[in-house]
Amino acid sequence: MERSLSENKAAATLRRREPVHLLTELKAILYLIPFLIPFTVFYLWPVIRGAWMSLHVWGIQGMQKYVALANYTKILKNPDFYAYLWNSFYFVLLCAPTVIILGLLLALIINQRIWLRTVIRSVFFLPYVLSVSVVSFIWLRLLDAKNGPVNAALHMLGINADINWLTDHRFVWWAITLATDWWSVGFVMVLFLAGLQEIPTDHYEAAKIDGANAWQRFWGITLPGLSSVMKIQIFYQIINCLKLFGQVQIMTGGGPGDSTNTMIRYIYVTGFKKDMFGLAAAQSIIFCIIMLLIAVIQFKVTDRKNG
Amino acid sequence: MKKLALNAVAILLALLFIFPLIWMFLTSLKPDGVNVYTVADWVDWSDLNTDNYIKVIRDSQILLWTWNSLVIGVLTTVISILISSLAAFSFSKLPFRTRGIFYVLMVSGLLIPTEAILIPLYETALHLELIDTLWAIVLPGLTNPIGILLLKQFMDGVPKDYIEAAQMDGSRSLRLWWSICLPLTRSAMVSVGIFFFILSWNNFLWPYLAITSEENMILSAGLPTFLSNNNMSLNLIMTASALAAIPTIIVFILLQRHIVQGVAMSGVKG
Repeated sequence: MERSLSENKAAATLRRREPVHLLTELKAILYLIPFLIPFTVFYLWPVIRGAWMSLHVWGIQGMQKYVALANYTKILKNPDFYAYLWNSFYFVLLCAPTVIILGLLLALIINQRIWLRTVIRSVFFLPYVLSVSVVSFIWLRLLDAKNGPVNAALHMLGINADINWLTDHRFVWWAITLATDWWSVGFVMVLFLAGLQEIPTDHYEAAKIDGANAWQRFWGITLPGLSSVMKIQIFYQIINCLKLFGQVQIMTGGGPGDSTNTMIRYIYVTGFKKDMFGLAAAQSIIFCIIMLLIAVIQFKVTDRKNG
Repeated sequence: MKKLALNAVAILLALLFIFPLIWMFLTSLKPDGVNVYTVADWVDWSDLNTDNYIKVIRDSQILLWTWNSLVIGVLTTVISILISSLAAFSFSKLPFRTRGIFYVLMVSGLLIPTEAILIPLYETALHLELIDTLWAIVLPGLTNPIGILLLKQFMDGVPKDYIEAAQMDGSRSLRLWWSICLPLTRSAMVSVGIFFFILSWNNFLWPYLAITSEENMILSAGLPTFLSNNNMSLNLIMTASALAAIPTIIVFILLQRHIVQGVAMSGVKG
C-alpha cells in the first residue's frame, strides 16, 4: 500500500512534469524579454552588423561595395593607426597607475579617524558626479597658458615659465591626466574604502603584537586584503583609459598636431567626419580585439598568481 | 603629532580638490573680463553678481538641455531598474534549464563597450529613425547588464520560504516579484538606480553623435557648443559649466550615502 502510493505520486509528477516544465521555461524567459529586446536591437545586432559593415565600403548612405578584408589591410598599413593606438596606450600608462595609487592613498587617509571625515570623503568623491564636459571646461580654463590660475600659482611659487599645458606636446598628456585623475579618483577611493572595511581588524592587532611596523602591516595585510578590488580596478581603469574621448575632444581637439588623438577619436573622425563607416567599423573591431586580448591576458596572469 | 600631520594632509588635499569647483563658481559670479588669480581676487567679493547666470539662461538653451537630461535620465533609470529587476527575479527565483545560456549572453554585454559599436549603433538608430530624438539616447541606455548582476545578488538573499509560502497562497510569479522581491530589494534598487542616473546624466559620446539639433541636446553634449561660440567669455563659459554642475551637486549632497553605497557595490562585485 505504502509503496504503491509513492509510486503513484512519482508517476503523477512524471506525467505532470513534461508540459509544466516547458511552461515554466517559457514563463521564466518571458521575464527576460523586456531586457532582451533593447539588448538585442541596440547591442547584439550592432555587434554583428559592425562585423558585416567592416567588410564593405560603406558611407552614411549605406553599402556601396563588398571589399572583403581590404579595410583591415588598409588600416594595418596606415602608420596613423599605430600612432593613435600608441596614444591610447600612452594614456593608459599615465592615467591608470596614477589614479589607482592616488585612490588607494586617499582611501587609506579617509579610513583613519580624521576630523571632518565624511565631509572630506565627499569632497574627494564630488568631481565624479560631474559630466566630462564640465570637467573639461574647468581644466581647460584652469590650465590656460596666459589667464589660468595654475600658471598664476606657479608664478607665486617663483616658477616663471608660462607653461602651454594644452598646446605643448610635452605637457598636454599630463594636463589630460590631471583632469581625468581629479574627475575619477573619488570613484577608485570609494572602492578601496569598501575593500579596506572588509579586512578584519584583529589581523592588524595580531601583527602589532608580533612587532610589525606600519609599513610591514601595509604590505603584509592591507595590500593582500585589497587584492580582489585591485585586480578589478586595474582591469577597469585600463579599459576606461582606452576609451578616452570626451576630454581630448573638448580640451585639445586631438592636438597639438595629432599628439592626443586616440583610437576612439580616430574611429569617430573616420566614421562621422570622413563618412567612411566601413573603415571605421573595421577599426572598431581591431580595437575591440585588442581590448579583449588585454582582458584575457590579465585574467590568465591573475589566475596564475592565485594558483 | 602624527595625528596632527595626518589631519593637516587630509585637509590640504581636500582644499586642493575643491579648489577647481570654488574657482568655477567665483569666476561665474564675477563681471565679464574680471578673472580670479591672485589672493586679492579671491577675497574681493564686492563685485559678485548673478548677471552671467541671467545672460547664459537667456541667450542659450541651457535650461531646455537640463530638462532633456532630466527626462532622459529618469526614463532610462526607471525602465532599466524595472527590466533588470524582472530579469534578476527570473534568474534568481525561477529555476529554468536554459538559464545558464541566457545569463552568459547578458553578461557578455559587459565585454564590448558602446564606444566600440558606435558606427553600427548609429546605423541602426538611423534605420529606426531615432536619430535626433530622445529615444535614441534612452533605448541604447537600457542594455547595461550590470543592474541584473547586482539585483540578482540581492534577490538571492531573499529567503526561499517567503517565496514558497506565497506560492502556497496561490500567488502567481509576477505577484511574487512585485509584492515580495521588489520591496525586499528596495534599498539595492535605489543604489543601482542612482548609479544608472549618474551614468545617463554624464553620458557624452553617444548623445554627442545621436543628437543633431540644438533643442534636442542634453546638457553634457550641448555644453561643448559654447566653446565654438567665440563671443563667449571665460566668465560666461564658467557660468554655463556651473549651471550644468549645480543639479548633480545638489543630488549628490542629498543622496550621497546611497551614491557611495551604489558605487561601492558596483565596483567591488561587478
